[in-house]
Amino acid sequence: MWYGTDRFRAYLGCLLLMSLLELDKVSYRYRCDEALVLQEINLKVNRGECHCISGPTGSGKSTLIKLIMGVLSRPWEGNFHIADGLVLGLVMQDPNVQFIRQSVGAEIAFALENLCVPTELMRGKVQSALRKVGLFVSLDMPIEQLSLGQKYRVMIASQLVSEPDILLLDEPWAQLDNAGVEELLLVLSELKEGGVAIVLVDHNPNAFVDVVDHYYFIKAGELIAGCPTPVVVDNIQAGLVQFDVCVMQIKPFEFRFSNQDPLFKSMQPLKLYSGEIVSLVGDNGTGKSSFLKSLAGIQSDINELPLLVLGKQAKVGAFGADLGLLLQRPNRQLFESSVLEEVQFSLKRFELPLFWAEQLLDELGLLHLKDHSPHTLSYGQQHMVALASLAVIKPKVLLLDDPFAGLDGEYLNRVWHLLTKLSRGGCAILLSGHRQMLTLPVTGHWLIHDGVLCSDGENQALGAA
Amino acid sequence: MRKVFNFSLQDALFIGFCATLLVALKSMLRLKLGVAGHSMFLMTFFYLICYGVVGRVGSITACGFLSGLVAMMLSVGKGGPLILIKFGLPALAMDLSMMLFAGLLTLKWRCVVVGLVGCFAWAAKVWVENLLMGMTIQVALVQFGLSMLRGGAFTLLAALMVPPVLNRLRAHDLLFNEEIK
Amino acid sequence: MKTSGGRHCRNSVNGANTVIKSGKGIGWTATGLILALVLSSAAFFIATQYLFGLIICNLGLIIHGVYRRGDFWVIGRVFLAQLVITLSLYYLMHGKDQLLEGATVVLRVLMAFIPGWWLSVTCRPEKIGEVLTWILPAKWAFVIAASLSLLPTMTREVREIYQIQCLRGARITPKALKDPRNWSELIHCVIFPLLIQLLKLSKQTAMAAQLRHFGKHKKTTHWR
Repeated sequence: MWYGTDRFRAYLGCLLLMSLLELDKVSYRYRCDEALVLQEINLKVNRGECHCISGPTGSGKSTLIKLIMGVLSRPWEGNFHIADGLVLGLVMQDPNVQFIRQSVGAEIAFALENLCVPTELMRGKVQSALRKVGLFVSLDMPIEQLSLGQKYRVMIASQLVSEPDILLLDEPWAQLDNAGVEELLLVLSELKEGGVAIVLVDHNPNAFVDVVDHYYFIKAGELIAGCPTPVVVDNIQAGLVQFDVCVMQIKPFEFRFSNQDPLFKSMQPLKLYSGEIVSLVGDNGTGKSSFLKSLAGIQSDINELPLLVLGKQAKVGAFGADLGLLLQRPNRQLFESSVLEEVQFSLKRFELPLFWAEQLLDELGLLHLKDHSPHTLSYGQQHMVALASLAVIKPKVLLLDDPFAGLDGEYLNRVWHLLTKLSRGGCAILLSGHRQMLTLPVTGHWLIHDGVLCSDGENQALGAA
Repeated sequence: MRKVFNFSLQDALFIGFCATLLVALKSMLRLKLGVAGHSMFLMTFFYLICYGVVGRVGSITACGFLSGLVAMMLSVGKGGPLILIKFGLPALAMDLSMMLFAGLLTLKWRCVVVGLVGCFAWAAKVWVENLLMGMTIQVALVQFGLSMLRGGAFTLLAALMVPPVLNRLRAHDLLFNEEIK
Repeated sequence: MKTSGGRHCRNSVNGANTVIKSGKGIGWTATGLILALVLSSAAFFIATQYLFGLIICNLGLIIHGVYRRGDFWVIGRVFLAQLVITLSLYYLMHGKDQLLEGATVVLRVLMAFIPGWWLSVTCRPEKIGEVLTWILPAKWAFVIAASLSLLPTMTREVREIYQIQCLRGARITPKALKDPRNWSELIHCVIFPLLIQLLKLSKQTAMAAQLRHFGKHKKTTHWR
């Protein structure tokens, strides 16, 4: 660890440089026999600065955060100076693991309890932390009743209560809707003015342009200053849309959970044709995932949709090998001992030819991994294997929930190549995302905006003709 | 005693999650499977998984009593304080026998033997209860035999499924404790 | 795959600190818990001549429970099944004479369960949790609180993984699961990935708590 003799040097160094934290050619690997995750990282953080680090999932962003927080079990190489008595706060990726109590006050006070702060002092500290994040709610307010953005600010307040000098935020964007991002930006700029340094880690750095002072991205373990060059998707074409084969039709509907307000509605009939690749775009929290699930017939507490998929009512088990659905974090569906078995699983169950699996892996350039355990692969590779295990059965309809999250340029292209190949084979693909996919090989757009789902109409008009 | 249950926070949380899941699954499956004794399937499975993952004596007992507490808080099963014994007793018996058989048999047979001991404790609990209530020994014995048969079949099934799962977890480098072989 | 547990979990235990305006309810729950414990044990140990008094007590509990909209049939079903099995065994082994004795035993079993049923009907589960955490060490109280607050996440995870694998053709539909040979499929393609998630979850939750100084001091102070 960094204390001991180094500590004095660090203290002197920080006094001279006035920086809170300094990484000087720091390298790290998880195991002796593995490649470096972080390679000669240089980073200097001063008071009141905001740093943003981007990079695809698995590039080492989280490792860097853990390194700064001092929770890594193995030693690193290089110099890591941190100011004496510096307090760090971290807001983690998954809100579920962070909320421990039910009311706002108790949640924020958790750190104070553990630090044995006397009960009578707690209220003041908790209230001041709440003020800093601009939340004016009762301390007894149940966390459950807060909006996404408010919940996130409670998480920040729970860190601010121990008065950190540096606040680290791990992937805030993915947890927030647009309003939440706006609120967060306000809070962050206030904190900066108060002298708190902020380190953001996110794969959508553009959202935080207003507050960020320094941009970095991680590539092959190296931390490079600046924004990453935007990923270019190869110029590929989707298949021909077969307007005579309609695989899914939805009459105008209101989409809502039982006994709740509608999430969004659709005024016009929607149709999906064989060979189409349609993007479903909307902000976080608009109900895209639930919508895709109800198209596959597995969302239970939803009002019934006037929906025909492949001429049938959507129900579990109704479609067999004709429909595939990829949910978020696809790596959680992996369970077999080898990549080949994983891809063959559905072929076995639907009694389709097993050689399709090797054929597909070969086309995807994954054949060399066929005997590897899916759990030891990189994030991008796992993603591809999960997708391949659906694509291999050649479904007529493929529903993908945010299939590009966290992928780097290379894997993004590989996914697109696979999707266009499927569409040329007559598969209809509906994929959800946060951003407009105008430059991509997409043949149609469905957009959820202000509670209304609109399709861009072009293909619809053709289809009606 | 304090030392036995002094798990790292991460292990303690894993035990807690297993216990909660056991109770949740039990409440989900209760309606679908009418057969008595199926609770031994879930119990044996999760208790042995806890032992395999955490790798320490005491983990099964901890999981058992946590399941009891969680079941009580969620009002699963017939509810009430008795449920603590229902979950806790087989766990305690399994842990004690685990101490006895540590390193003796292969993992598979150890799981089976330990599971059956747990099942025995589960059936014996009912037997003692029945005797306390004044049931004649013969009738109580027959009932004991019946529970042992039903519970035993489920236990056997669960115990046989644990080693492959543990082996898979280990093969994929997902286990942090290396003691259990 | 739906759970009845999910409903309660968000407003559950909080270590020893949830005294959010609940002083009255807590005393009531603690009393109820002790009463249930005493009455349940009495069903085992009480001498036959006092059994009648116990029956009266339990009748009181049933009336109160049903009045509070409890479903007595949950217990009644078990009671009837027990009655049939035990009485037929008694008849086969001891003849007609001891049938009454057999019925008494089943009655005692019933009375061991009634207080628990009554407790679950009349006391909110989270209150029971609070009472229990008084006696538990801080770490285990935290573990229980964390497990219960993660229960919705866990059940959602179970459901989603189950559904994905169903769509992938796994033989785990309710119909397929009637055959125990398919249970290993359930274990492999649902429970196994789930365990991986639980391992990750426990690691992260531990980290989140420790970064907020959990476990630094043996004794902690409490938020009020």
